[in-house]
Amino acid sequence: MATKPDTRFQSLDRKASAIVEFTLRQYRTKKSTWVVLGVGFTALALIFLIYIDVMASEFEAIDNDGDSTDYDNDGYPKGQELRLGTDPWDDESHPGLFDPPVEPDPASMYINEDGFDWDVTSELGTQSTGIDDDGDCLESNKTASQKDTNDNGVPCDVVVEFYRMQDGQIYSNIESDSGVDEDPDEDAYAKEAIHLAFVLSIGKLGFVLLLGIFLPLFMATGLIRDEMNSGTMHFMLAKPISRSEVFLYRTLGYLGVVWPYVIFLGILGALVSGFVGPSDGFFRFADLGVWLAIVFATMMATLVYGMLFNALGVLWKYGIILAIPFAAWELGMALLSMGVPDSTLLRFSVIGWALMIVDAAAMIVWPNLDLFILMGNWGGSDDFNYLQGSEPLNFFSSKPGLGLSAFTALIISTLVLLFQAALSWFIGGALFKSKEIQ
Amino acid sequence: MIPDFDQQGKAETKEWAPEANAPAILLENVSKSYGRIFALSNITLALNGGVTGVLGMNGAGKSTLFNILMGKLKVSQGTVKLFGTDPWKNPAPYARIGFVPEHEKMYDWMTGHEFVSTFARLNGLTRDEAKIEADRVLEFVGLTDVVHKKIGQYSKGMRQRVKIAHALVNDPELIILDEPLQGCDPLARTTIMNVIRELGRMGRTVLVSSHILQEIERITEQIVILHQGRLLALGNLHSIRERLDKIPHRISIQTDSPKQLAKDLIDIDEVFGISFPDGQNLSIQTHNLGAIHSKLPGIIVENNHKVNAIDNPDDDLASILGYLTSGGRV
Repeated sequence: MATKPDTRFQSLDRKASAIVEFTLRQYRTKKSTWVVLGVGFTALALIFLIYIDVMASEFEAIDNDGDSTDYDNDGYPKGQELRLGTDPWDDESHPGLFDPPVEPDPASMYINEDGFDWDVTSELGTQSTGIDDDGDCLESNKTASQKDTNDNGVPCDVVVEFYRMQDGQIYSNIESDSGVDEDPDEDAYAKEAIHLAFVLSIGKLGFVLLLGIFLPLFMATGLIRDEMNSGTMHFMLAKPISRSEVFLYRTLGYLGVVWPYVIFLGILGALVSGFVGPSDGFFRFADLGVWLAIVFATMMATLVYGMLFNALGVLWKYGIILAIPFAAWELGMALLSMGVPDSTLLRFSVIGWALMIVDAAAMIVWPNLDLFILMGNWGGSDDFNYLQGSEPLNFFSSKPGLGLSAFTALIISTLVLLFQAALSWFIGGALFKSKEIQ
Repeated sequence: MIPDFDQQGKAETKEWAPEANAPAILLENVSKSYGRIFALSNITLALNGGVTGVLGMNGAGKSTLFNILMGKLKVSQGTVKLFGTDPWKNPAPYARIGFVPEHEKMYDWMTGHEFVSTFARLNGLTRDEAKIEADRVLEFVGLTDVVHKKIGQYSKGMRQRVKIAHALVNDPELIILDEPLQGCDPLARTTIMNVIRELGRMGRTVLVSSHILQEIERITEQIVILHQGRLLALGNLHSIRERLDKIPHRISIQTDSPKQLAKDLIDIDEVFGISFPDGQNLSIQTHNLGAIHSKLPGIIVENNHKVNAIDNPDDDLASILGYLTSGGRV
């Protein structure tokens, strides 16, 4: 056994890669591996199919401002009469009496004719924005005060205000002049909102939560325990290798199966949502950043849970039973993170930090997401007719907690997850080391 | 806790360097208890060099002893040292040790060669070195023909031999074999016994356990007898046997004419009692087993008796244990 000086790679090609390789091959021979991976794939594939179906369907266009209707039965829709200055409520007054007479416009011209044209930042304070595309404010024969119903001195605009309350949260207020940005395109909004909500929800629930917990639950709890039960652990422990090393390399072998699988599903998701999602070109490249974060967050979650569940398996013969309360807790934390992203409880979970990665990336990749949700919730008038899609999007998106900026949140949550993984390894190694094996 | 970043699996680490002259195995007043039940009590033993058989009935504490040596169990009392270090605290000595576990379960999906070479890398060998070493040890145990077959297709004897190959791959100074002959066919048995004797001739320290006296007898004369967790005897099997010769032994002979044979045998000085358990059998009692065995064939041939079987019912582990545990009285 001559040992000549060698490179780091050759050096690692001994114990570490031997156990990793062994573990990978062992997974390949186990039916349970294929069942777990197959079920995960099927579940996500079904959600992708539902998404494709939703994207292919048409959302009904609603005439939010009612100006496509011909109330006085004179053949002219209300919008046209308003724009040309005749009385929409009087059949004796219509543009047909003009000289020369004006032909009536088709009613469809007055549906979805005034979308959102907002150019605002999320800074605190009041901003004036919006364009009256259909001219039912600017070009109508309203008085100056009727054109400035929000009373900010600018006729026919939308006032968007962000302000901080005493609780430290930022709230918003929207007031539009009557007839401005009042008839948005429901179909376009819904598709965009549902698309974004889909990416966030499948990323957070499908990937980070479902894959992040169930893959380790079924694949990592037995990494050491199964070998201890069957007696085959004797072969590995009869070698000059410390038990915490065995623990680490076994977990690395598990990651060797799980990480490529997560990356594969992430690429699949990115392709499906990229081609099917609403876009001007043939592919939505912008979402790739979020998919990258989703895959990364899932990898981190499978790392931490893998170490943790492996340690639970070492601790007790029925470690999977110990792992289930963890899974339940983390499910609660995942829901909490969507409802109350600032909750302190989230700091005592793995999923809270992993989801923070997704939220932070969404904030970087979709900087106007908050505004987009705001528009949908406002819906074109001050009585808050939610546009379809804005509520789920609002639920699934949240700001990274702790009041951090997106980049800081990314870095801190990654570091915390790495620390959690290292701690789980340390505990698992120590448990394994103190374990008597028959 | 810190991983071995060198990955060399060296027999020496910064924390541990082998003591010069430390025996391969040193147990001092070792006890292992589970609650109030003692699996091992107060074992003191030092071994270095040669083949030593560990004899004991099932449940005598052989596996507990081996698991303590392999760092799998923590002793309740006493100290264990392998080459001068405590195996529970430090796996470094295993660089110089090979272990054949008793467990039947193996990785059936691997070929013998994959199994041996994969685990050889845990000794700090590179992939290429491990392959060469695996070929060497698999040839040593006589498995060259089947190295690329799956272990699942191996016979019991082949499985035992592949386990031995796995234990020998790091060229160990101390080899511990837990019941290596159990369930083997006669051919595998002979091969394994030869391998163990060969290791002894190579100057290695070998510890081999069995619950069958005849097996151990064919391998070594140096034995350790465990009974109910206690060390009953330690030493040369022949000296133990000589002590046994001082107590009456039975020889049972199956023959068609027990009465006639008894008449011829009663004249031998060493025979002091004859009984007839049934019509086909004859049982003689003696203090000197060896003398009877040397005279018996001559008498049978001379008087033309038809003998079907000769058996020494006392010449087994149970009767030795019975003798040792009763303090020499039978």
